[in-house]
Amino acid sequence: MIEVSTLTTVAFWGASAMTLGFALIVVTQRDVFRAAIALAGSFLGVGILYFVLSAEFVGVVQILVYVGAISSLMAFAVMFIQDVTAGSRPVQGRLVGAAVAVLILAAVAFTALNTDWSTMDEISDQVAGALTEGYVQVGTGDEIRIEKVGFTDPDEVVVPNGGVLVDSTSAIGVLLVREYVLAFEIIGLLLVAALIGGLLLIRDPKPEPEVVTGSEKREAPV
Amino acid sequence: MTIENVLLVSAVLFAIGAYGVVSRSSLITVIMSLELMFNGVVIAAVAFSRFTPSAALLSGDPLTGEAIRSALTGHAFAIFIISVAAGEAALAFALVFAMYRAGESIEITDASEMKN
Repeated sequence: MIEVSTLTTVAFWGASAMTLGFALIVVTQRDVFRAAIALAGSFLGVGILYFVLSAEFVGVVQILVYVGAISSLMAFAVMFIQDVTAGSRPVQGRLVGAAVAVLILAAVAFTALNTDWSTMDEISDQVAGALTEGYVQVGTGDEIRIEKVGFTDPDEVVVPNGGVLVDSTSAIGVLLVREYVLAFEIIGLLLVAALIGGLLLIRDPKPEPEVVTGSEKREAPV
Repeated sequence: MTIENVLLVSAVLFAIGAYGVVSRSSLITVIMSLELMFNGVVIAAVAFSRFTPSAALLSGDPLTGEAIRSALTGHAFAIFIISVAAGEAALAFALVFAMYRAGESIEITDASEMKN
């Protein structure tokens, strides 16, 4: 049985409330700039959720990419584009949209609550014990593994293992360039394609023709 | 904090995003709501990685690096989804900006036909 401390539970519900509250502001706020600010808050709440779920690398990526990059992209887009007085009105038929959203929520919630997930809380004591007590995490990256307590090797990094992998970052690094190397390469290609596509889309479609005056005419080489 | 709690939070975030996508008039708010939906999905992926044991873990064999990495598959999925979402956001804003500069309205109802 993996113990979840009270502090973790409080942090989980706090981060959840932050995420969902700011998300509600995003979809109800008329002022688009305020919606963008609330969106950054919601992303930050999701980042805290990742830390609570002991996914610290994903949490850092979330804060860098979403809270940092995408939020400022949103803010810039709002300042460039939005006619502030118009705002973002609710459209007609939003009640149908709300009904669809509630149906999606009901379906997912029903599945989540009625499925036997065989979570770590319910697996055998032997495996749970290997994760919580009497074991240490040895090495980093490709060499990472779990050994019994008492393992001493001056050349290896040994970390007490409190039920979660302490150094998941190096393991994820190896995972990305070994098991998922093809997907990793394709993601790189996709990002380059998105970059070039974005540049093409925002390029001025009809550039002004260059006016060539007499004085600027190039002299023909003799 | 059980997996059911985390999945419920993920589902509620996804539903809020879905409501925002169909209910707002401005394209920018629609894209923001899409990002909320992406986040809901990633929370579910990380929750599965945190709570469900991998097959290698259940077999009782000593925990090697490979078994540990297989337990972190959800994290790798999260990284990939975040990358795709970042590219998608950049392209979406490029599209909206191109529409705006072409003198088109960026209201959803006006933009239902994309021909010039």
